[in-house]
Amino acid sequence: MRLFKTSTRLAAGIALAAFMSSAAFAQEVINIGFTGPLSGGAALYGQNTLTGLQMAAAEINKNGGIEVGGEKYTFEIVALDDKYAPSEAAVNAKRLATQQNAPVIFVPHSGGAYALQEFNEQDGFILGAYTSVPEMTERGNTLTLRIPPSFAGYIDTFVKTTMEKSGKKLAMIGGDHEYAKAWASLFKPAWEEAGGEVVAENPMSYNKDTDFYSGVSSALSANPDVLFVGGASEPTALVMRTARELGFQGGFVVMDQAKLDEINRVINDMSQLNGAIGVMPLSSDTREGAKAFVERFKAENNGKTPGSETSYMYTALNAVAEAMKLAGTVEDPKAIHAKLSEAYGSLPSERNPASIDSVDEKGGTNARIVVGYVQDGEIMPIEAASQ
Amino acid sequence: MNIFFQQVLNGLTLGSVYSLVALGLTLVYGILHIPNFAHGAFFMVGAYISFYVAGDLGANFWVAMIVSAAAVAVMAMISERLIFHPLRNSPALHDMIAAIGLLLFLEAVVQAIWGADFHRLPAPYTTILRFADLTAPAQRVLIIGAAIVLMIGLQIFLRRTTTGSTIVATAQNREGAALVGISPLKVSLLTFAISGALAAVAATLFAPINLIYPAMGHLVILKAFVIIILGGMGSIPGAIVGGMVIGFAESFGAFYISNNYKDIIAFVLLVFILSLRPQGLFPSEVR
Repeated sequence: MRLFKTSTRLAAGIALAAFMSSAAFAQEVINIGFTGPLSGGAALYGQNTLTGLQMAAAEINKNGGIEVGGEKYTFEIVALDDKYAPSEAAVNAKRLATQQNAPVIFVPHSGGAYALQEFNEQDGFILGAYTSVPEMTERGNTLTLRIPPSFAGYIDTFVKTTMEKSGKKLAMIGGDHEYAKAWASLFKPAWEEAGGEVVAENPMSYNKDTDFYSGVSSALSANPDVLFVGGASEPTALVMRTARELGFQGGFVVMDQAKLDEINRVINDMSQLNGAIGVMPLSSDTREGAKAFVERFKAENNGKTPGSETSYMYTALNAVAEAMKLAGTVEDPKAIHAKLSEAYGSLPSERNPASIDSVDEKGGTNARIVVGYVQDGEIMPIEAASQ
Repeated sequence: MNIFFQQVLNGLTLGSVYSLVALGLTLVYGILHIPNFAHGAFFMVGAYISFYVAGDLGANFWVAMIVSAAAVAVMAMISERLIFHPLRNSPALHDMIAAIGLLLFLEAVVQAIWGADFHRLPAPYTTILRFADLTAPAQRVLIIGAAIVLMIGLQIFLRRTTTGSTIVATAQNREGAALVGISPLKVSLLTFAISGALAAVAATLFAPINLIYPAMGHLVILKAFVIIILGGMGSIPGAIVGGMVIGFAESFGAFYISNNYKDIIAFVLLVFILSLRPQGLFPSEVR
């Protein structure tokens, strides 16, 4: 009896497998890998980046997929949770590369991306790194795509504008995670070179601290004109609100990880943010591609506003699809990587809301950066030199 | 002087929240003799229920707090019935594994319902009180005041009422308490209910100055463990004093030494106190 049951199950399994493979014959599927934080404190961020990929895949599939070498292909996003840990990201990437045959694996954090750079060339997949750490593309890895432009492009404008509008004394209370340290190590010398003075340095654990009162009041006791802040948007908002509660009147330099519109969703009063400079939030970006993307996203997600990480990931997968077409292969990562720059350049603006025009030879994207400065409770655009 | 006062205020705020969370943890430890890892999840669920009641249903902050305390108390009782009670005769390790399982389960459920987004509970009183050159946001003063009232209330309940005394008796000697006619079943349900309600109240008080998200319980639960070890496992005054010690260590450490070292300061303090008094500050009333 038991044997009979097993054999029927087996038969059913074979039938199912046969059915699935025949379905796959009609239209090949390209698995795109994603490993990022989908649970824990950074889950929202991970989910936002993943949403960008899923939205791009759904749109491409809806329009019939892509045609490469006479075959039709659709995209399937395979997402694994790495809880923000580089070691788990590496394990996930191994699985995605070997079991799912993913030609591209996206990672939305620098730690995970560095871990994947150790073996992506041997395992033959393109690393789509969502991090603006400039060093990401300086390590000689030939299969890396750095999705957002390097943050080095923001620094000059941030320094010049805030120093002019708020003053020369800076207190640095950014996060103490890797990414914030990388920012601080570029920002501090730039500030000093421009004639400014760093009066206090007190980095805080944005993700782990229960309260920012002490850290902020310690920095404020040095009487700074400007505060350097930054981590995820929501804790950054708490830090900024605490500073205002403690009577701070000066300006803020907001690291690009935090977005002014998301900060305002916590504080609920844009005038509290007067004197803050940060990346232009996608929702206030007036460029055509970005505006159209925000509207499409809102329509599909009950009026929720997308962040720039969603638009960058969305653009990246569109560029990968284009690059596959241009390279005439869905499997050879080197050939696909070589066509990425051309692919980004050829995207129509509605598929390129991040306004990226090319990729340099090391795999870093170039984009026209727009910076946002808050004045009288409004985010004003400031053009920055593109990097 | 102003700066010093700010740190005192901050230490008191943090200490009050930590103490409330640690009190629930220490009470359950007295009964179950295991650290209840799911307590951090009770804290988190408490914040979400308040957020739902005050936000989506538009209720008053205090109503939200009461509803949330009641709901989490019921949830804690259900988890006692369904999870910890059936495991009462198994090795302590099983309870611990079950508690961790419950923690992960509750986090996943909350994330499935509300998503991974950060939420905010608007502060009921947004004024900033100023005395001379001292500033104190009303919400922080409220946290301190409410925590003190609750702690005094709990102390009176445990020491002065018969029902309360049954908890203390059971914690001191389970068999002895059963022999004189105290029902262990009722006592453990009651203890879980109080512990859940305390976590929910602490979360509701703290939420307006912080954010609500599924992993928020991790922040306080680790500290609560340090506190009950510091104060003596199962000791009620220990939880209160321990909470204040950690709160002040963090607040003054972050200000006068460095924010980077504030956790180290708290843990060095733990090592130091335990090497002088291995039984904790207040040896437990349990054994």
